[in-house]
Formats: sequence, structure tokens, C-alpha cells
Amino acid sequence: MKKQKPLDEIKAKILDAQENDPIVGGPAKNVELIGKASRRGFLKTLGISAVLVALGGQLFAMLRSLFPNVLYEPPQKFKVGTLDKFTDGGTFLEEKRLFIFRQQNTFHAISAACTHLGCTVKMVKLNQPKKVTAGGKEIEEQVEFHCPCHGSKYYGDGTNYAGPAPRPLDYFNLEVSPDDGQLIVDMAKKVEQDYRLTT
Amino acid sequence: MATELISETKARSTLLVTLRDKLRLKSAWEKLTWTWRPETKREAGDAIVRNFVLHWFPAKVSLESLSWGYSFWLGTISAVLFLILTITGGVLMFLYVPSVERAYLSVKDLEFSTSYGWFLRGLHRIGAHLMVAVVFLHMVRVFLTGAFKNGRKAVGQNRPLNWIIGVALLLITLLLSFTGYLLPWDQLAYWAITVGTNIASSAPVFGEPTRFILLGGTTIEQATLIRFYVLHCFILPLATLWLVSYHMWRVRKDGGLACVEKRYEEAKKEERPAIASKTYSLLGITGGTAVDVRNVMVDDEKDKVPSSPYLTVRLAVVTLATLVASIVLTLIVKAPLEEAANPAVTPNPAKAPWYFLWLQELVTITTFTIGGFTINGALIGGIILPGVLVLAAVLWPYFDKSPVSSIGRWFPKERKWQNRIFLLIIVAILILTFIGTFMRGPFWEIYMPWQEWEQTPRKF
Repeated sequence: MKKQKPLDEIKAKILDAQENDPIVGGPAKNVELIGKASRRGFLKTLGISAVLVALGGQLFAMLRSLFPNVLYEPPQKFKVGTLDKFTDGGTFLEEKRLFIFRQQNTFHAISAACTHLGCTVKMVKLNQPKKVTAGGKEIEEQVEFHCPCHGSKYYGDGTNYAGPAPRPLDYFNLEVSPDDGQLIVDMAKKVEQDYRLTT
Repeated sequence: MATELISETKARSTLLVTLRDKLRLKSAWEKLTWTWRPETKREAGDAIVRNFVLHWFPAKVSLESLSWGYSFWLGTISAVLFLILTITGGVLMFLYVPSVERAYLSVKDLEFSTSYGWFLRGLHRIGAHLMVAVVFLHMVRVFLTGAFKNGRKAVGQNRPLNWIIGVALLLITLLLSFTGYLLPWDQLAYWAITVGTNIASSAPVFGEPTRFILLGGTTIEQATLIRFYVLHCFILPLATLWLVSYHMWRVRKDGGLACVEKRYEEAKKEERPAIASKTYSLLGITGGTAVDVRNVMVDDEKDKVPSSPYLTVRLAVVTLATLVASIVLTLIVKAPLEEAANPAVTPNPAKAPWYFLWLQELVTITTFTIGGFTINGALIGGIILPGVLVLAAVLWPYFDKSPVSSIGRWFPKERKWQNRIFLLIIVAILILTFIGTFMRGPFWEIYMPWQEWEQTPRKF
């Protein structure tokens, strides 16, 4: 019999160990399809998957941390002053980017944020009242809203009529505070254009 | 006498060498300055080839690659501008405070009380404007010369990929400018963020989450400023550095600038005299007296010059010229600073910087109403149309079937239509930019450039 080379001997020993070892070589004998190479492959896949899952988890954690859970932002619902503060016509509340309109004892609040891309619209006082048809109704307007960023134009009731604005200005819900009689605006609660608070 | 002198010199030098070796001076010096000393020229050459930074430059370059009139060196100028921006930006980071309360004041301090602060800020700003312009012109040059096309069949050549990296770099340059002009927290900054993030939010499904993550909430506050600051000073410059390195390395991998492709085309046409010393027909190889080998061989040594000094000196000239031009412009053009950010009052008119005015025009004119359904111009003009343009740019090399002979030449007849379509888009962008810059007045109304704007009260 030809004498085996030293390297072949080592190989044979390893093979023998793999086949007869109760832990490493054990199950392979019983399951024909899962050979030694597959077991190694399985462990390799398992290892790589574990690394990928760990990295993916960390990436997720990093990205998720960028979505804040607590916002230190001004509340959407706030008091704007007692009713007598508002005279007939429109008042612009700078801090809140909001117009409060009063007609005797009815109130409504219109957002000053342009519906196109969010710039603050400017209230333009007309020299003389103008009759326009907005939303199928004829109204007489004293003011209009024009946007300085892209030239959107709105009638006095907030209906868009020119420029790129896709929809009318937002209207917000109004209440009167029962404790001190102040007007409360809820910017989280949008209402229809014909909404009026009557006091 | 002479022999004595020589032997004395030898003895002295041996003594010096021994002394140096004993004191280990040589080894200390080498340890401080060399990690490894090449023994042969071959090793030295290999060292350059293996070094990532030096790999940008070949040992020899063709003369046409160095021509001023072919490439205008626009890519190099962009890289130099990026270097200027990195250096000035690094200094500005010591002086700027990324806080809503203090950002504006720190920029004001920079402008009026810090020594040479106005110069640093001005150079950084002019550098940014120039970089947008030069990167854009670089793209125009590459397109018009068909330099995104593969030429001869060379191993590893993939010019379309480098073109796509270039498109990505143009977008990153625009993002760097956008995030940069937000940092002074003046009116321009505030309303640019408002409009920019609202454009993002107009995208279906992903729009609102994108705006939320950009702002770090629902309103423009401290979280927003710090996000744009980190993007501007860290993430985007890092991305640029990485992509620029790869972009330049790829130019070499793609076989140099596209203008060298001509040489391979010319070499094909060259008639080579047949060698009439053997008769091949007898061997059964071919008829006649010569084997016609059609493999194109270009004599690499012909018309090629060593990179150093031919390329390096030109590089130095371009660097110097770019620096001088930027400095002169900084001294002439004053860097404006608008009023402090005020959410209540939008400036009238509120204009973006010149390179975004075509987009501002696009979002203005693209709101459409079909039946009762209105599509916001922000989506069409702000996302869909620019997205289509970017996609077209990315895919163009794969649909451009013009012949190889048109590569690396200005306005070749074979690429007439491609260039016409491209120039038409460029002209449209320039017209929109012109309208936005010179023909828009208060409330974004159209005014002729010579017409006076109607005076409107600033505040209500």
C-alpha cells in the first residue's frame, strides 16, 4: 500500500474527527442531506445574518431617534384675548399667523399660511368694496389676501382665485372661554368656510 | 597628494557614517518621515499606483487632455472651490453658533465685529455660488462633448457610471448651498426652509414624514437649525469628498478624458504598410504576403508628457486663478444679510437664490385643476418635473446610440439632436431663471426689468 503523505494524513485525521466526533460530526451521519459543508455554511449564514440584524437594528435605532417623541412646540389651542379687543374688520395676530375677523357679534378665524407652500399671505385693503363670486355665492369683500412668494391670490373669504394655491385658506374653530371670556382658537381643528362664532 | 586627500575624505565620510549610525540619526529621521523606502524605480512606481490619493494622477498624460479649450478645467475648478469652501467653512465653524437665538447675531458679529469675518464669510459665499455655476457648466461640457460614452472596448471602462456620480455630485452641491444659506437664520433662511420643506411634504405618502424628519417636528425651530447645520457641516461634505475622490479615480479607470478616444479612432484609419518579407499563404494562415491585424494599437508614448510638471503646473495655475477670481469677487460683491428670521412677515417678494429661481418659477406655474381636482404646483414643479429631469440625465447615456467617433469632440454632427434637446432644456431653465431674477416684483407679479415696482407697505 502506498504510504500517505503527511498532509493527506492530517486531512484524513480531520475527516475522521468530523465523522466520529460526537458534537461536530454527529448529526451529519443521521441526516444525509445536511452534510458537513452545509453545517458550516449554515453557521456562516447564521453568523452573517446575526451581524446584519445587529447592524440593521442599530441603523433603525439611529434613524428612529431622529423622529422626536416629545415636541416643545407652542400649543395649537390658545387664547387670543377678550372679544372687545377685536374691532369690526380683520385683525392680524403676528405670532400665530392668523387673521381674526369680526362682524358685529360674529367671529371667524382665517389662517395666514398660504395653501401653496406655506408663506405668510398679506391682507390687502381694497380701495372700495368689490363684489365677487366665491364658491357659488356672491360676496362683498373689503380685503383680499395676496402671497409674496409665488403670487397666489385669495378673496376676502379665503377662496383662492389666482396663482398656484390649490385650495382656500384654512378656517379654524373658535370658542369663548367660560372662565375669563377670552376667545380661544383651535388651529388643530379646521372648520368649513361658512363657520361663524356668534356671541 | 591627491591620493592622500581622497583617502582622507573617505576616512572622514566613513567616520561620519559610523557616527550617524551609532547615534541612529538616520534611522530616527527615516522613522519620522518614511514608512518605507523604495529600493528601485519599479517599486517607487508601484507605490504611486497603490496609493489612493496619488492614483488620481497618471504617470503620463496626453497633450489633448491638458488642453484648455476642451474641458475648460471645470472639474478641477469645482474641486478647488470645494477646497476653498472646506477651509473657510472650517474657520467659520469656530465663529458661528447654531442656535435659533444666536445664529443671526453670530453671523452679524462675523460681518461687523470679527477681524476679517466679512472676508471669510464673503469668500465662503462666493465660493458656493461659483461652485454651483461651475459644477453645472461642467455637466453641460460633459454632455455636449459626449464624454459620458464608452469608447474603445477597454477593461473596466464605465463612463456612464461616472456621469451618474457627477449628477449626484451636482445634486449634493445644490443641497450644500441650500443647507448653507439657511444657517444665518435671516429672512431668506426662514422662508427658504418653509418653502423647501413644504415642497417635500407635497409628495404623496412620504411627504409628511420627510418634512417631519427634516424639521425635527412640525414647526421651524431649534431642531430644524441643528439638523441643517449637521447636514451642511458634516454629512454632505463627507459625501462630496467620498464621491469626488471616486469620480476622479474613475476618470483614470475609464481611460482618461473622453477626448483621447479620438486617437484610437485615428489609429484605426492609419494605413500600415504590409511586411513583405514572408509569404503567409504557404503556412495556410492567410493569402498574400502579410497578416492583417486589426487590433488597434496606440503608441502611448507619442504625444504624451510626464504628469509632473505638465499636469501639476497647470493644476497649480488653475488653483491660483480660481483662488484669485474668488477673492476678487469677494471684494467686489458684498455678502447680504437680510433681517432676522420673522415667521409673521414674508418678504415681498420672497426670492430664492438665483440657482433656485427656475424652480420657484416652476412651482408657481404648474398648479393644475382637472375637473374638481387640483394638483399643487409644489408636487408637479417641485418634485415631479425636477425628478424627471434627474432621471432623464441618469438614463441618457444608456439610450444615447451615437457613434463612438462623436466622443470627446465639441458639437459633433453625429450628436446634433441629443445636443439640441439638451440645450433646449438648459435654455428653458435659463429663461425661467431670468424671469425669476429680473421680472418678478411684489406679490410675484410680472414686471419688465426697467419697470419700477409698485410700493407696498412692508407690514400689516
